[in-house]
Amino acid sequence: MKPFRRKGTELVGRLEAAEVGILGLLVDQLEQLLAGDGPAGDPVVERLLPPGHASDTQIAADYRDLTESALREGKADDIALLRATLPVDGGEVRLDDDQARAWLRTTNDLRLALGTRLGVSADRELPEDPADQQVAVYHWLTAVQGSLVDAIAAAGRRRW
Amino acid sequence: MAPARTPDTTVHEEHDLDRPWVTVVWDDPVNLMTYVTFVLQELFGYDEPTATTLMLQVHHEGKAVVSSGPREKMEHDTSRLHAYGLWASYQKDA
Repeated sequence: MKPFRRKGTELVGRLEAAEVGILGLLVDQLEQLLAGDGPAGDPVVERLLPPGHASDTQIAADYRDLTESALREGKADDIALLRATLPVDGGEVRLDDDQARAWLRTTNDLRLALGTRLGVSADRELPEDPADQQVAVYHWLTAVQGSLVDAIAAAGRRRW
Repeated sequence: MAPARTPDTTVHEEHDLDRPWVTVVWDDPVNLMTYVTFVLQELFGYDEPTATTLMLQVHHEGKAVVSSGPREKMEHDTSRLHAYGLWASYQKDA
């Protein structure tokens, strides 16, 4: 992976073919998770679509009725946008602002999903040098998303 | 970004119904600090120092109020934060 950098109006990075394959598999899984109802109480779905109120179950239910389908659709649209920009055989990834935001949201959802499965918490950080492949993928997603955030934020600062 | 001020929002009454609603962002062990700062700038129009202060408040104190106003607007703000994967909820101001 070559980190994303701002080049003119675009954000440009580079992914190896194997990385594109992994990302493709991960977004397929995320898409399926968001398309179905999933097992009741799946902690990943709970984290991706959290309650709108911390304690009032009626308000939380009203919020879910109002927003859940639109949130699921938005996430599905983001996944489609990301998938459309993946270089199948590896190579350069060039993103405009809308595509970059779709990448940011989707890579964040992937980190939330994986982080929830791996039990990341404030008291439990993941090892930096992991033998576990899922932990390695989590750190890789962090690097991809982190470089995108930094590239977008740097562009925002220049505007001022 | 604060909601547009309308004449009736300047009337202060000590009445439960007049308490505004707030949107709260909660600390989360996964979301990157730089990402949270970016999202707060992006969604609420905060400048970078303000967004950074709010992000640090979330990180150190466990939560921060990021917007306030009518219930419907707080529902909307919460759903925009959920679209970006932040851990957020809305409630009546304490």
